[in-house]
Amino acid sequence: MYCPRSLYSLGMVISKSTLIAKTPPVAVWSPIDATNAKILLSGKVDVYTLGGIWTEVQEAQNAWLAQGNASNKTLIFDASQVSSLDGAGMAFLIDIQESQQKVGGTFTLVGLDARYQPLLKEFNPITNLFPVPAVKPQRSFIVSAGMATQNLLDDTKGLVTFAGHLSADLVWSLMHPRQVRWGDFVNAAVQAGIAALPIVGLVSFLIGVILSFQAAIGMQQFGATSFVGPIAALGIVREMGPLITAILLAGRSSAAFAAEIGTMTVNSEVDALVTGGLSPIRFLVVPRVLAGILVMPILTLYADIVSILASMLTMLAYGIPFINFYNGMLAAVGIEDVASGLIKATLFGVVVSAVGCLRGMQTGTGAAAVGISATKAVVSSIVMIVLVDGIFAVISYRTGF
Amino acid sequence: MAIDHPSSYAIDVQNLTVGYGSNVLMKDLNFTVNNGEIFVILGGSGCGKSSLLKNLFGLYEPLSGDVFIEGLNITTAYGVERQKIMTSFGVMYQQGALFGSMNLLDNVTLFMQEYTQLSQSEMNLLARCKLDLVGLLPYESYMPSEISGGMQKRAAIARAMALDPKILFLDEPSAGLDPITSADLDSTIIDLSKNLGITFVIVSHELASIYAIADKVIMLDKGAKGIIAEGDPKVLRDTSSDPRVHQFFNRIMSKDVA
Repeated sequence: MYCPRSLYSLGMVISKSTLIAKTPPVAVWSPIDATNAKILLSGKVDVYTLGGIWTEVQEAQNAWLAQGNASNKTLIFDASQVSSLDGAGMAFLIDIQESQQKVGGTFTLVGLDARYQPLLKEFNPITNLFPVPAVKPQRSFIVSAGMATQNLLDDTKGLVTFAGHLSADLVWSLMHPRQVRWGDFVNAAVQAGIAALPIVGLVSFLIGVILSFQAAIGMQQFGATSFVGPIAALGIVREMGPLITAILLAGRSSAAFAAEIGTMTVNSEVDALVTGGLSPIRFLVVPRVLAGILVMPILTLYADIVSILASMLTMLAYGIPFINFYNGMLAAVGIEDVASGLIKATLFGVVVSAVGCLRGMQTGTGAAAVGISATKAVVSSIVMIVLVDGIFAVISYRTGF
Repeated sequence: MAIDHPSSYAIDVQNLTVGYGSNVLMKDLNFTVNNGEIFVILGGSGCGKSSLLKNLFGLYEPLSGDVFIEGLNITTAYGVERQKIMTSFGVMYQQGALFGSMNLLDNVTLFMQEYTQLSQSEMNLLARCKLDLVGLLPYESYMPSEISGGMQKRAAIARAMALDPKILFLDEPSAGLDPITSADLDSTIIDLSKNLGITFVIVSHELASIYAIADKVIMLDKGAKGIIAEGDPKVLRDTSSDPRVHQFFNRIMSKDVA
């Protein structure tokens, strides 16, 4: 069996101090007179033994340089006692040398073993290692506002362009059904549909219980408990069922599509499709959108049924038998109400899966970009759901459907 | 900490079997790497060089056998002991594996922040030295996604050297580099090895680079599931009687052999 052992066996956290053995300081600062000082380096000089000592020595040096005229001061850096010196030791040497030479002082290196010289030469000129820190220009409010507007416009343009491409490719796919990637379609439909049944069932059951329970508390005061069933059922098939299912699909599948296509974008897989002369929309987006179109009405119908059953059970506690609930529901809910809910659900399915794919295709570079895309996919999907729901409400109010 | 296996070798591999589940890639490997040596692992694509490397530095558990790093058995170590071994070497992965959310300087200083008591400015200087060694000093504030693949690899070498480890594992360091950068990198590797005594374990295909730097190579073969040649690359090139080794070092096409 192979397994990445580090995943479990590095569980214990090691503190900084456990790796650092107690040894005498590797660098000692000693002033000789007003214009001369010496740093004695000894023992094993590495990234661990220099911890703290580097700062100490440098502070002493800076204090010494700050007194009087620095340009006639000489610092002797004695490395004759060194048993081993590595990259950190060289960086320390360079740091001290730079501080000395920056103010015009003299730096004398004595006793450094010849084997360290070639590597030390690689760092010349050492001034390159001390860049002037760049100052980031501050953006004014107007510039920021302009850039935000520009981003919004670009985003809208991207959405419209994508919608156009997608419509064209969907129509093309319907005319050439043999060219559709049905394998991808089935995978996406299983992931977005069958795998979502438990969570959709759970949430819609709870919604059914809560909805009818809350309604019953109010209606009981008017002795109208028997009307709770019809009202709850109507609300569920027209509004709650499609909405709950769509939001769950946004959270599960839209994010999954964005992450999947986003990772493909990061790995240049989408570029490979384009340079191979294949439309990434037809290849990646169309099967997923078709899966969304297929699973959303089915999931919604399932959510409607579970929700209404939950409502029936709740109303049983209020003394309404199943048959009364059923007859009341049949009187209030017509087939066109169910159809209206399912058509809306289908639209949600298109929007949610398409937005997930769009955000995936818009992914930037790096691992963090995939996370951002998945987040954006969920947020944009929910915004689009609300938008579509609003438009649908206006249409259905005007037409009476 | 107890020394599991007292030896003067930087790495001592004993009866190591590398593979995944029932898929055995290498059987009963035995080899040693001396301190300060530049040790190169050769072999055709897909023969398991990278898998062997991952077993050597303890990322994967071998099917059987032991790997001793400076006398400590990495295959059985756990917890603090394991972490101590892990900080004694640096690793450069084939794709660089830089942290995408940090710029190059932060990538190099990350391990220093965890394990040393240096101040931030000291760590920055140290990191700049490492980046300078691989020729990336002007790019310290770039994000990994903003630089080329070859530069990412070099930055990954700088990160592997962050804690000045005694052993560096490099997975195809010169693949994808231009000849000049590749030669510069070779010279840096030789400097580090000869002057600071750093041991290098390198997986490479670049023959020019192998002749320039390698003290010792082992050549792996997929069919033999083991080492088919061991020694100085130039000697192997000129004297090996094994047709597979001869073919590899002299760049002879498969169809010309068959």
